Amino acid sequence: MTKTLQRICFLIALCASGALLQAQVTVSGQLIDAQDSLPLIGANVMVKNSTTGTLTDFDGKFSLEVRNLDATLIISYIGYNAQEVPIAGRSFLNLSLSQASNQLDEIVVVGFGTQRKSDVTGSVSSVKSEDLRKIPTADFTQALQGKVAGLEVIGSGVAGGSGQLQLRGPGTFGLDVGNGAGPIYVVDGLMLDDPGNLSANEIESVEVLKDGAAVAIYGSRGANGVVLITTKRGMNSEKTTFNLNTNFGMQSVAQRIDLVGPRDYAILANEAAMNQGLPLLFSDIDDIGEGTDWQDVIFREAPMYTVNLSARGGTDRYTYYISGEAFRQDGIVQADNYERYTLRINNDYKLTSFMKIGHNLAFNYDSRQSPPGNIIFNAYGADPTVTARDENGVWGNTSMRSNVGNPLAQLEFNTNNRNRRFRALGNVYGEVFVTPDIMVRSSMAFDWQNFQSYSFTPEFFVTPQQQNEESSIFFSNGNFSDWQWETTVNYNKAIGRHRFGGVLGYLSQSQESQSIFASRFGLIGTTDELLFLTAGTEDGASGQNLGQFFRYISYVGRVNYTFDDKYILSASFRRDGSSKFGRNNRFGNFPAISGAWRLSEEDFMRNLNIFDNFKIRAGYGVTGNDRIDYRSIFAVVNNGLFAVFGRNPSDMLNFGATITGVANPFLQWEETRSTNIGLEMGYLNNRLIMELDFYINRTDNVLVRVPIPAYVGSSQDPNLNAANIENRGIEWNINWRDKIGKVFYSVGAIGTTLRNRVISLGDNKEEILGGGTSAGLATRTVVDGEIGAFWGYQTIGVYQNEGDLANFPNIGNVQVGDLIFADIDGDGIITPEDRTFIGSPLPRLMYGFNASIEYAGFDMSIDFYGVWGTQILNAKKMARFFGVPNFETSFLDRWTGEGTSDTEPRVTNGGYPNFEVSDRFIEDASYFRVRSFVIGYNLSRVLSDKVGLDNLRIAFSLINPITWTPYTGYSPEIGGSPIARGIDGGAYPVPRTWTVGVNATF
Amino acid sequence: MKNIAKLSIICFLVIVSSSCRHDFLDIKPRGQLTSENFFETEEHAIWATNAVYQHLRDWDVHVFYFLGLTDMASDDAYKGSEPGDAVQLNDLINYTFDPNHPAFISIWRGYYRGIYRANLAIKNIPDIDDMDPDLRDRLVAECKLIRAYFYFNIVRWFGDVPLILEPLDPDEYFQARIPESEVYEQIIQDLKDAEAVLPLKSRYGANDIGRATKGAAQGLLAKVYLTIGDWMNAEQYARAVVNSGEYNLWPRYNEIFLPSGEHNSESLWEVGAMAVLSAAGVNNPGSSAYNQVQGVRGIPNLGWGFNQPSDELIANYEPGDPRRGATIMGPGDVLPDGSAVIQNNPNMVNERYNRKAWVPPHVGFQENGPGNIRLLRYADVLLILAEALNEQGNAGEALTYINMVRERARGSNNFILRDLTEMNPSELRPMIWRERRSELGMEHHRWFDLKRTDQLRIIMEELKTLVRPNGQPKFPNLQFDESKHYRFPIPQQEIDLSGGLMTQNPGY
Repeated sequence: MTKTLQRICFLIALCASGALLQAQVTVSGQLIDAQDSLPLIGANVMVKNSTTGTLTDFDGKFSLEVRNLDATLIISYIGYNAQEVPIAGRSFLNLSLSQASNQLDEIVVVGFGTQRKSDVTGSVSSVKSEDLRKIPTADFTQALQGKVAGLEVIGSGVAGGSGQLQLRGPGTFGLDVGNGAGPIYVVDGLMLDDPGNLSANEIESVEVLKDGAAVAIYGSRGANGVVLITTKRGMNSEKTTFNLNTNFGMQSVAQRIDLVGPRDYAILANEAAMNQGLPLLFSDIDDIGEGTDWQDVIFREAPMYTVNLSARGGTDRYTYYISGEAFRQDGIVQADNYERYTLRINNDYKLTSFMKIGHNLAFNYDSRQSPPGNIIFNAYGADPTVTARDENGVWGNTSMRSNVGNPLAQLEFNTNNRNRRFRALGNVYGEVFVTPDIMVRSSMAFDWQNFQSYSFTPEFFVTPQQQNEESSIFFSNGNFSDWQWETTVNYNKAIGRHRFGGVLGYLSQSQESQSIFASRFGLIGTTDELLFLTAGTEDGASGQNLGQFFRYISYVGRVNYTFDDKYILSASFRRDGSSKFGRNNRFGNFPAISGAWRLSEEDFMRNLNIFDNFKIRAGYGVTGNDRIDYRSIFAVVNNGLFAVFGRNPSDMLNFGATITGVANPFLQWEETRSTNIGLEMGYLNNRLIMELDFYINRTDNVLVRVPIPAYVGSSQDPNLNAANIENRGIEWNINWRDKIGKVFYSVGAIGTTLRNRVISLGDNKEEILGGGTSAGLATRTVVDGEIGAFWGYQTIGVYQNEGDLANFPNIGNVQVGDLIFADIDGDGIITPEDRTFIGSPLPRLMYGFNASIEYAGFDMSIDFYGVWGTQILNAKKMARFFGVPNFETSFLDRWTGEGTSDTEPRVTNGGYPNFEVSDRFIEDASYFRVRSFVIGYNLSRVLSDKVGLDNLRIAFSLINPITWTPYTGYSPEIGGSPIARGIDGGAYPVPRTWTVGVNATF
Repeated sequence: MKNIAKLSIICFLVIVSSSCRHDFLDIKPRGQLTSENFFETEEHAIWATNAVYQHLRDWDVHVFYFLGLTDMASDDAYKGSEPGDAVQLNDLINYTFDPNHPAFISIWRGYYRGIYRANLAIKNIPDIDDMDPDLRDRLVAECKLIRAYFYFNIVRWFGDVPLILEPLDPDEYFQARIPESEVYEQIIQDLKDAEAVLPLKSRYGANDIGRATKGAAQGLLAKVYLTIGDWMNAEQYARAVVNSGEYNLWPRYNEIFLPSGEHNSESLWEVGAMAVLSAAGVNNPGSSAYNQVQGVRGIPNLGWGFNQPSDELIANYEPGDPRRGATIMGPGDVLPDGSAVIQNNPNMVNERYNRKAWVPPHVGFQENGPGNIRLLRYADVLLILAEALNEQGNAGEALTYINMVRERARGSNNFILRDLTEMNPSELRPMIWRERRSELGMEHHRWFDLKRTDQLRIIMEELKTLVRPNGQPKFPNLQFDESKHYRFPIPQQEIDLSGGLMTQNPGY
C-alpha cells in the first residue's frame, strides 16, 4: 500500500514534467471479493506511474484509458489488501481482492461508519466476540472487565445481573440514572440506555469509543463514553454453517463473612447491654443452643447454563444470521432466579446492484424472581442464637434482640414474585449507492418492551415485627417504545494520494413509556392461578398510571481526510435537541477535531528499521450528558395529599395537591471537553504492539442534585448545573504474539490510571454530601478533592482509662473503652467539625494481564485483573441503631479493660462515638484476581469429520477462582452513584464460577 | 429505471424527514400538573390548602420523633416498645443526643416542608383572580394559622430558626437563624391575620369541620402569649375564646379521645384522620401513623407501643382522678370500646400505653390510623386563662376556670378532685401546672410546659436523684445539662448546608 503511494508520488512528479499524451487504449474489467465473489463497489483502480484512475461501479466494473497494454494497475479498497496487476496485454481483466487480515488494516466500527484501524484518529478499543464468550454471564457487560483499558466494570452477582460500567472516571454525579455514570450503548445503530438481554453469543464485536474525538458524533449523550455493539451477520456466498454452543456452570460464594457464633454473640450482646446500662439479654450464656448460621440459610451453589444454536450464511443476493438461545442462571442467594430466551434474525437483501435492504431483529423474553431486597443484610445481622425454624415448624424469633427479620421466613413468605420482560428491538434499513462514491442510508430502529411484574405476600405471622396481616399482591405492567430514524449520506473518494470521507445525517428519536401499578389485599387464595388483582378485595385497591416521554432531534456530520496514508485529519459535528430541557437550552453543539501522523510511513522512520507501525494521534472533542430526571425543569404537583374534614363517622377525604419540590427551569446538559493524545507502535514485525493514551476530560455544567437546606422545604433536592470535574489518566495496552514451532502464544497487559478532581462546585458551594448510612452522610465532595470521598472521624485509639478520658478531647458522652477521635480542628473538643477525609472509593489504578497458549488443538488462557487504591465503607458493620444485630468476628478483639485493644472499642449499641462514620469502617478494597482461566481442546478436523462436524471444541473455565483482597466483605466490588459509591450495606456477592462448554460447528 | 428508483427513494426520504414539525420537542410531563399550570383555579387553591392540612399527619410532624421531643424528653413518658427497639429514642430521654441524632433532622424537615406548602399557598392563592374572594381570603388565613403553628413548635424546640415566609429562590437558599423574638412576632402576626378572617367554628358546614377557625387562632394566640410571658394578651385571647360561646367542656373526659369524641364541643383544633384503604392511587390516604406508633404492642391491637406513660406521670394524678385511667392503660385493662382485655406482652417492661392514642379496629393495617390528633382543647384554653390571671395576681378568678376543668374531670364523683380554693398566686401557680399535667397528660404539651415555666431543669435534676428499690439510680444515663438542653441542637446537616450562616445552639 505504502509502496504504491510512493510510486504514485514519483509518478505525479514525472507526469508533471512531461505529460505527453499519446494514443490511448481502453482497458476494462471487473473486481470482485476473493472470498464471496461479489463485486466490490467504489474500489480504486489506478494506473501505475500515472494520474489516471477510476472507481469501480455497482457491478464492480471499471474501464479506463491507458497508454498501452503494458501498464500496471493498482487496485485498492478499504479493508482489503491492495494489489498491483500488470495488464499484460489483456483488455478485460477479472480481478479479485482479498480482505486484509493484518491487524492494522482491521476494520473498526466508529460512529456512523467504519474505518481502517490505521486511519482512526480517536481512542477506540475493540473487543471481539471470542473474548466476550470466554466469560459466560447473562450480560456481556460483565465480560468486559479487564478487556478495555480505561473501562471500569464493577461486577454483579445477581442472577441475570449487569456490570456497572464507568469509562475514564466519573465526569458526572449521575444521580438519577441507575447505572451511575455509565456509557451509552449503541446496538446496530440504536442508542440505548439499557442494552440488557443481549447475549454475548450474538455479538460480533464491541467497540468502546473513549475520547471526545470519537464520541462527539453522539453529542449530548456521549460524555460518559459510547459502547458500540455490532451483532453478527452472514456473508454473501458463505456456506451455511450451524453452530451449537452450550455451557454449564456452577457458582458459589467466593468468600463468606466471618460472623460470630451463638455463644460469642450472647457474650457480646450481654456486654453491650451492660455497657449501655440495659438488662442483660442472656441470663446464662452456657445455655445457648446451636442456633443458626444464617449464611448457610440463604446461600447455595447455583447452576447456570446456556444453549445457543445459530445458523449463518448467504447467497449472492442475500445473507442471513439466525440465532436462538436459552439461558438460565440461579443466583447464589436462594430464590434468585433468572431465565432468558432470545431469537435474533439479521438478514440483508440485495435488491439491485446499487440497493440493499436489511434488518437486525431481536426478540427477547426474560423472567426474574428476586430474593427479598434486604436478605443479605438480614443474614448478616440476624440473631445467631435463634433456630431458624424448629421441628414443630415454629419460626425462630430473630426480632427479639434486634429488628432483623428471620431470613428463612423471608425466603418462605417474601419470594413469590416475578418480573418479566418481553423485548423486541432492531432496525430495518436501506442503502442506496447514488453514485459509486455516495451512499445514502436510512435506518428505522425500534425498541419495544413490555414489562410485567407481580409480587405476592401471603398472610403470615412470624413475630409481631415480621408479619403480614392480610395477603397482598402488587402488580405492574408497563411498556416502553422507542424509535429512532436516521438518514445519512456517506461519501468516499480517493484522488491520487488524497482520500476523502464524509458523513452527513439527520436523526430523530422518540421514547415513550407508561406503566400501571396496582395492588389488592385479602386475596381469596394463594395458588398461582389466583395471583391476580381481581382475586383481591375492593377494600384498599389501588392503581396508578405513570408516563414518560422524551424526544430528540440531531444533525450529524463528519469529514475525514487522509493524505498519502501519513497524515490523517478528521472533524465531526453534532447538533442535538432534546425535549428534556427548557426552550432556552434546548439545543447544543458538539464539535470535535482530531488528527494522526503515521511516522512509520516516513522515510526517516522506515530507515531506522525499528517500527512496523508508529502513529501519533491527537484529538479534542466536546460531548454532553443529559441523563437527568427530565421533569426537573418543572416543579411537579404532587397529587393525593388528602385532608380529612368532617366529624366521625361522616368525615370525608378532601382532595389535596400541591408542589412539594423545587424546580430548575434553567437546566442544561453537562458538557465534557476531552483531549486525548495517543501513540500506537508495532515492533518486530508487529509481534509486539503497544498502544498508549493520555487523556484529560474536563466536564462543565455538571448536574448535581445539590442537597439544599431542609428549611427550603423541598421534598427533594433540585438539580443544578453547578460543578466542574476533571478526570485524567494514562492507558496502556501491550501485546506480544508469536509462535515457537507449532506453539502459538501471546501475553498482554492493559491498564489505566485515574485521577479525579473536582474543579469547582459552583458559586458559594463548598461541598456535596452524600452516601447515606445509619450514622448520616458518609461522603463529601469538595473542590480539589475526588468525587464521593469518604468523610468521617479519624480514630486515634481507644480510651484506656479515666486518664485518657481527661487527656484526649471528647464530646462528653464517651466512656472508657470508646473510640478516641482525632481533634482535627484542634479546639480541644470533638465536634462534627473534626470529621476529615478518610478514604476514597475511586481506584487509582486498574490493570490486567493475560496470557494464552495454543498447541495442537489445545488452548489455554488466563486473565488477571486488579484494582488498586480504592476503599470501601463497610456500612453494614455500622448499622446497629436498632437492638443488637449479629457481630463480625472482629468485634471479639474489643476493648475489655485497659490495654486490651487500641483499635476495637468496647461493645455498644449504635451511636456516638463507636458507630459514627469513622476510619474504623473504612477498609482497603484493592484486589487482584484471576479473572478467568480457560482450557480448551479443539477436536481435530479429522476426528470431528467422522461425526459430521466441522469443528468441536470443549472448554473448561474458572471465573473469579481466586481474589486476593484485604476487604472483609463478600466482594470488593461495590458500585453506586458517583457520590455514594463503595458503601457496602449488604451487597450481593460476586460469585466464583466454574463452567464446562461444548461448541460444535457443522 | 435505475435513476427513477434512486430519485424516488431520495424524494421519499427528504419529504418524510422534513415532516417533523418544529414543535417536535415540546413535551410536557405526562399525567401531572406542574408549576406551569397550577394555582390557576379555585380548585387549585382548595387543593393546595388541603395539602397543608394533609402534612399535619406527616410522620416527621406529629408521629415518631414528635413523641420523642414532647413526651419522652419530658417526665411524662419513657420510650416504650421492647427494650431493643428504636434505642435511639433513649438518647432523647437521657439527653445524650448530638446534632446528628435523627430526631432533629426528621422534625426540622417535617416542619419546614409544611411551612413550604403553606408559603406556596399564601403567596400564590391571592393571585388567583377567578375565584370567590371570601374563600380566597379564608384559605390564605387557614394556611397562615397552620404556618404559625409550625413555627410555634420549632421555635420552642430549637430557639432561633430561619424564618421563611415565601418559597425561596435558589439564590436565597443560605439563611441565618432569626432571633426567637422575631419569630414570635411573625407567629403572632400570622395568627392575628388568621383570626381576623377565619369564621367561627359554628359557621363551617359539617363537611368542613376541622378547618382552622377564629377560635383556634385565638386559642393559639393565648398559648403563644402565655409562652412569651405576656399575661395580659394571653388573658385577652383566652377570654375571647371563652366569651365566643363556641365551646364548652365535654361532660365525659374519657369520651374526648374516642372516635365519637372527635371535633366535640371542646375541640378548638384537631388534625382530621380516617381509615380509607386507597384513593387516587394513594394507599391509606387519610391516615397517620400516630395511632400505630403508640398502639398496644401485641394482642389485641398490634401497635408498636412507643411513648410509654411514666411512673412519674402516674404519681402526678391526685387520688382517684379518673383522668389517669383515661390517659393510661395496660395489661388487664379493658380497651376503651370494651371490646377486649389487653394481654400481657412478655417482651415489654412496665407495659403501658397512651390510651388517648388508641383507636378501635379499622380497615387496613395499623399504619392506616384513623385517630384525630387533638391539638388544642377548650380545657387547655381555660387553664391558660387561669394561669394568665394568676400571674397577674388574680388568683380568685383563676380558680373559677381551673375548677371548671376539675369539675368536669370529677364527673359525678364529688369525693375526688375537690374545688381548689388557694388564693395566694404563688401557691396556686404549681397547682395550675399540676392540673395542666393531669388534664393534658400524653397530649404532647408537657415538654413545652416544662420549658415555658422553667421547671425543666428542676424536674430533670429530680429525675437524676430517683433510685430504684434496689438502690440503683433510676435514670443512670440521664445527662441533662440546663446550660444547653433548653434548646435542642440544630441538625448538623442544616448547619453544614447553610453556607456558614447558621450557628449551633450553645453547648453542642
